[in-house]
Order: sequence, then C-alpha cells, then structure tokens
Amino acid sequence: MAPEISNLSMFFLIFFVLIPVSLSYLYSLGLSGPILWSSFRGIVQLFLIGYILTYLFSLEPLTGITIMLTVMILVAAFHASKKGTGIPYVRPITLCIIVIIEIFVLAMWLGFQMISFQPDQVIPMSGMVIGNSMVAIGLALERMKSEFKEGESKITAALALGAKPEQASKILVRKIVKSSMIPNVDGLKTIGLVQLPGMMTGLILGGVAPIEAIRFQIVISLSIFASVSLSAMFVTIIFYRFFFNENQQMIKIEEN
Amino acid sequence: MGAPIPVLEASNVQSDFLRNINFNVSEGEIITLIGPSGAGKSSLLKLLNRLADPETGQIFFYNKNIKEYKIEQLRKRIGMVFQSSSLFEGTVEDNLKFGPSLFNEWEHEEGKKLLEIVKLPTDFLSKDVRELSGGEQQRVAFARTLANRPEVLLLDEVTSALDVKNVEVIEQFIKGIVSKEVKAVLMVTHDIKQAKRLGDRTFFMYNREIVEQGDTRRLLTDPQSGRLQAFLKE
Repeated sequence: MAPEISNLSMFFLIFFVLIPVSLSYLYSLGLSGPILWSSFRGIVQLFLIGYILTYLFSLEPLTGITIMLTVMILVAAFHASKKGTGIPYVRPITLCIIVIIEIFVLAMWLGFQMISFQPDQVIPMSGMVIGNSMVAIGLALERMKSEFKEGESKITAALALGAKPEQASKILVRKIVKSSMIPNVDGLKTIGLVQLPGMMTGLILGGVAPIEAIRFQIVISLSIFASVSLSAMFVTIIFYRFFFNENQQMIKIEEN
Repeated sequence: MGAPIPVLEASNVQSDFLRNINFNVSEGEIITLIGPSGAGKSSLLKLLNRLADPETGQIFFYNKNIKEYKIEQLRKRIGMVFQSSSLFEGTVEDNLKFGPSLFNEWEHEEGKKLLEIVKLPTDFLSKDVRELSGGEQQRVAFARTLANRPEVLLLDEVTSALDVKNVEVIEQFIKGIVSKEVKAVLMVTHDIKQAKRLGDRTFFMYNREIVEQGDTRRLLTDPQSGRLQAFLKE
C-alpha cells in the first residue's frame, strides 16, 4: 500500500524552507523573499495539479489524456521557443517538433504494449518526455544562435568555398547535436548508481516492487534519450536555413 | 601583345556600404585596395563572390553578370581568403579537401601539391590544424582556397596578423601564382608598402567609394585627390 503523509507531517516541511531562508539572512544573500515565494508557489502548483490530475483521471481516458497533453505541449512549445527569439516561425515549428516526438513515443509505448492507454500512465510519462524535449529544444536553439554567431567566420569561409548553406552548417550542426546529447549519454551511464531516478523512486514509494519499477524506469529513460536526440536533430536540420537568405548568404538573427 | 582580357567589371554598384563603384580588372593583374578602416574595401570584395549583393548596379565576370552563374560555381571560381584563417576542425587535409569534395574533385595527391605551393612540408597533411602556428594556419587557408582552382583570388587583409617572415612568404607566393594558378588577384591591405610591392594597379577607397584608381606607382607617388594625399601622409 502506498504510504501517506499527514497534514501535520507536511506542516513540518516548513523547517526545510527555513534552512535556506536562515542562510540567506545569515549571509545577507537577499534571497529570503524569492525562497519563500517559490516554495509557496511550488506547493500551490503541485496541489493544483494534484486536483486537476485527479479530475482528469476520472474522465474518459481519451478526453483526459487529450486535454492534459494539449496543455503540456502548448506550454512546453511556448517555453522552449523563447530561447530561439528572433528566429522566424520558431514557435509553430517548435510546437510541431514536440507533437511529432510525442506521437512517435506514444505510438511506441502503446504499439509494443509497454504501457496501457490510461491517464495515470500516459500523462505522467508523457510529461517527462515533453519536459525533457522542451529543455533539449531550448538548449539546442540557444546553442545554435551562439554557435552561428561565434562561428560566423567559419561558415562564411565554407560558403566562399562553394558550400551550400546545408553543407556549411554541418561544421556547427555536429557540435550542437553532440552537446545536446552528451548530458543524456552521461546520465544513462550513472543511472541508479548515484541516485535512484525520480520515477522509479515514486513507484517504489507507491508500493511497486523494485524489479517492476526498473522496467518502467528503463522505458522512460530510453524514451527520454530518444526524444532528446530527436529534438536536437530536428532543431538543427530545420532551423539552420533561417540563418541564410535565398542567395546563400549569411543573415544575422536579431533578438527581438 | 593582344588586348587585355577583362575578368571582372563593376558598373554603378551601390549598396548600404558602397556607392558609385566602377572598375575593371584584367587577366594577369594584381589589384590592391587601400583606404582607411570603414571605407568599404572588404564590403566590395564580398560583392564579387556574392557573399553579399549590391542594391543597384551590375558586376560582370568574364562579361557575364555574376547573377547568371550558379552561386556555388561562382564562389568556386572566385576564391576568397580572409584575415582570420577560419580553418575547420580536423586535419590539414580535411581542410584542403573541403572545397573540392563539394564538387567531387578531390584526390589525395592534390594535397601535397597544394602544400608545396604554400611552402609547407607535405607531412603536414595529417596534422591537426590546432597544432599549427598562425602563419602556417593562414598558409593552409590559402591552400584550401587554391584547392578549388579559382580563377580570381580575393584577399581580405590576409597578412595583417602575420610576422615579417610569413608576410614575405605569402607575398612571394601571391606574385608567383598570378597568371599561373589564378588569372587575377584583388587584395585589401592596410600596408601602403605592401600595395607598392604587389599591386599593378591600386584602388583608393574613402567613405564607401573608389576615390582614385590607377597604376600603383603613379597613384602612390603622384596622388591627385586631397583625400589620398592626406591618407598617404598618415
């Protein structure tokens, strides 16, 4: 049976908040306000999402899943595309990338019966994939802008040698994709050795046997790995073209 | 001797950085472009291989408007070397074959010949470019551009960051390749003495236009415009 935490026990979490607040006061960090506000906001958001999920889980699976995934995808696309400010069509394209990745991952999960089409399985697992894709897309967009700025002379040299934009961009694209994938490659190497992954921890706390919990963890870890790789790849193969005009000349992306 | 064959010609070219640009370059010529910073010298070079386009006016390469060439082909035929070597990650050979590989023209033996032209040892082919000195990197950048067998070479302050020895090597090499490997060279330089040593003709640019152009020796010893007279006194 899943363990329960009483309201009184929850109340004593205040000590965990008071520690950073005291440190901020002691070292005059000026962070007391932000710590209290973010802790309060986090708690309210989590309770809110708890109630919303409870409601969505009570609906027809298709309705609940569709509503929640739509919200998740829209929010993720909005946040990820902020990192690409100035790049044309960044928001709709980011939205399409996340939708395609989610459809692909969901099709794999359901097609090979890794999970069943139930809101309590699809929503949390999709949330992890969408969230990680959001971070990967944001990083790749940010990296792309900085690489094109710093690597302008190399791209220009490649164009001057007769390279098409696609060929010239390859010099930087490799670096961008690699840097987006490395955190996941490294993360997978130490998974379970340094800390138990969040999902597995949750399942074990919820009463699931560890050997069952790791199965879910493997599914989600590899799904995240695939979606992060696809996110970085899509970003680079789609967005490089906006750094060039139709005459194969480099253009500067201005921050709005 | 026959009439000079025109390689490049600019007619009433205007852009954000240039105004009223008119000139022609013939086969066998080395043209040096001099003038203060911001005069438009580098901007002018970039128009010739379409790294930028003018707003009005026309540029001709062998009597054909450069817009009628396929851009990749034009850039292959009008090669450019920049102030910074801008070498790509990898070995010297990776850099040398970059251009020819785009057109499926690379042969390993070609690499050795190119290194000989720029006076670098042939065993440099397998060297990582990060191991090279600044002067060696710039020579590899030259060889990388020559690998495409360009007919015109655009040089944008290619020796400004180099020591005297490397400047000498590169100047000798520029003199040596005209009429052999390439038909004409246009070279931006801040160094008046270098312009004297290399330029058959010189364009003096000031405030986005060519103020004076002509035979280098005549231009630098008997400047007509007040601007050039003042520039030479600086």
